[in-house]
Amino acid sequence: MTGEPGVLSMRGIGKRFGRLAVLRDLDFQVHAGEIVGLIGANGAGKTTLLSIAAGLEPPSQGQRIYWGVPTEDLGVALRARMASVSHTAQVYTRLTALENLQLFADLRTAAGLPSAACLPLLARLGLEHAAARTAGTFSRGMLQRLALARALLGAPELLLLDEPFTALDRPGRALLAEVLASERKRGAAILLSSHDFDAIAGIADRVVLLEGGRIVGEVARRGQAEDMFHVALQRLAGSLAAVPRETPVPRD
Amino acid sequence: MARRLPTVFLVAAAFIFPYCVQRIFLHTPIEREMGTAQKIFYFHVPLAWLMMAFAIVAGIAAGIQLRRGSLRAEATALAAAEIVLLTGIGVLVTGPIWGHATWGHAWTWDARQVTTGLHWLIFAAYLLVRRYGAAGSDRLAAALAIFGAVNVPIIYYAVKIWKTTHPSNEVVGSLPAEMWASLWPALIALALLSIALLLVRLRQELTDIALDEAWIRLNERGEA
Amino acid sequence: MTSLRQAWLLARNDLRQELRDLELVLTAGFFSLVVLVMFGLSFSALGREAQVLAIPGVLWLAVAFIGALTLTRIFDREREADTLRALLVAPVERQAIYLGKALVTLMVLLGCMAVLVPGLLLLFPAAAPMATRPGATACLVVLGCIAYTSVGTLFAAGLASSGGKNVLLSVILYPLTTPALLVAVVATRALLEGHPAFPAYLKQLAAIDAVTMVLSIWLFESVLVGTGASARRR
Repeated sequence: MTGEPGVLSMRGIGKRFGRLAVLRDLDFQVHAGEIVGLIGANGAGKTTLLSIAAGLEPPSQGQRIYWGVPTEDLGVALRARMASVSHTAQVYTRLTALENLQLFADLRTAAGLPSAACLPLLARLGLEHAAARTAGTFSRGMLQRLALARALLGAPELLLLDEPFTALDRPGRALLAEVLASERKRGAAILLSSHDFDAIAGIADRVVLLEGGRIVGEVARRGQAEDMFHVALQRLAGSLAAVPRETPVPRD
Repeated sequence: MARRLPTVFLVAAAFIFPYCVQRIFLHTPIEREMGTAQKIFYFHVPLAWLMMAFAIVAGIAAGIQLRRGSLRAEATALAAAEIVLLTGIGVLVTGPIWGHATWGHAWTWDARQVTTGLHWLIFAAYLLVRRYGAAGSDRLAAALAIFGAVNVPIIYYAVKIWKTTHPSNEVVGSLPAEMWASLWPALIALALLSIALLLVRLRQELTDIALDEAWIRLNERGEA
Repeated sequence: MTSLRQAWLLARNDLRQELRDLELVLTAGFFSLVVLVMFGLSFSALGREAQVLAIPGVLWLAVAFIGALTLTRIFDREREADTLRALLVAPVERQAIYLGKALVTLMVLLGCMAVLVPGLLLLFPAAAPMATRPGATACLVVLGCIAYTSVGTLFAAGLASSGGKNVLLSVILYPLTTPALLVAVVATRALLEGHPAFPAYLKQLAAIDAVTMVLSIWLFESVLVGTGASARRR
């Protein structure tokens, strides 16, 4: 796993806010065609890690390496190859689903980038009937799907998803899992976070456990029988519960 | 040596300052038109110069902070901005006293007064943003300090054309040599004092950063 | 080029949202009217000479008030659903975000000026030169509004992305925009008095616009996402 550079590598990443060390000395990689699950309790640093990976904030220490190139400022060319979905949908509530999507499609074409047609993308996420509806009237699950559709616009090579399962109902989860699997097949590298163990266990090729801003465990599916992978995951889940925390964190 | 620098500066200032007072009041001729009130000029003008100088220091440090993400630069910008506020208060207090004695009005909307006032407001805003801003607002405050520094000539020019007729623009240039000679020691004393204060504040900020660091390390060891 | 095209798309997107409920246009327009009435009530008794001194102040104070209101509202829209972050991770040039927002703010301000200037003409006889020299007035109004917008957009965006309190925007904007507005006040007075220095003041205002705009664009990215080598941090 260490030979090739991978799509995204984090080397010694740390993030501090004053006295609070949110991330400490993180090292990990995401490869093309791989889904990496990031699990951890609330406040473990998942969101900060994803937002550093997305270039929304600089790390306090360490290096971000995209496609083998260490990068400090993520320019348009780099951002064009990746996409990110936050735990909030971040869509314009006064615009319709189609308008929301079209805006970002147009922004891509204005930058000379190819982008997918919007309607089929909405259909792929089961929103075709709601294309002309104002996003303000959407349920949280629908908003989440819309955000995912927007992320898929440019067929990204790196997908970063923060808690994508949270707002989704059962069919929504199945759909998300299906979409992610097909993106993986296309060759995309996917990093997603969740505090929900079962949702990740179903699709991830590798699961990384984050605790107190540090990687405390890792389980890979490769080279293991399916049931052995699940046993290892169970053990990881057990350690998630066993690691003492300074403040009790509610889990849902 | 670097650790003792603020103390050295403070002691030096403590010796030079009484000398200044004695020299200004006893050995410098009284200005013919303005009389004794003009003595305040020896404190007012150096303070105004220091205010501008520290505004520029804060701006440059904020620029480095933004470009390089340096915590040291951030601490310097903050300390310098506080000195701007402090010297600014000095300028804004001594100015009207002088103005009242010579022009009959404390606040005459003179170009320099307004410039100083506006500048002071910008750096007060900087400190407010630092104090009450959310997590990412250190960068916002830095931009404010940069604008504050770049604004030095703009503000001055704007106010100058706004009030083209004002009495004292040439006062500083046309002073007799012996009055200049008394200005320098005052400038040195006040500069030493404000640099010492800056260094003390800077050290406090750096200690604060180091404490954070130590706290984090301690916590890590405790967990491991 | 990419920046300009994307800026236009973003501005169009804001305008489209505005068309849905006209919230900003109506509130800012109404606010201009209220300000006008209040100033009219306060200063209607002034003699002609005093009016020449009062009108510039009225005009640019109104811009300062309306500008703060508009910027707050425009970025509140991005804040409501955190859409600014979606733009920041998308392949959108940072300058495009700045320019798009600045363009919309400028449009709103100019719309309000279209209420304010005729209103001043109606209320104060001394404002007549603004009607007789419409080209000069338009130049002045546009340059003055750009001066306000160029600084305001940077700080409003920075505040929106850091989740800072809106009250800080006024704290920042009033002192920071005063020098430029002061030059606008001087130019307006020169226009009303028929002073020969008026074109020179306009040029100076344009120079200030250029400086603040370049500086704002240059700082925009570092304020919003923070650039630079944090690896070298310590």
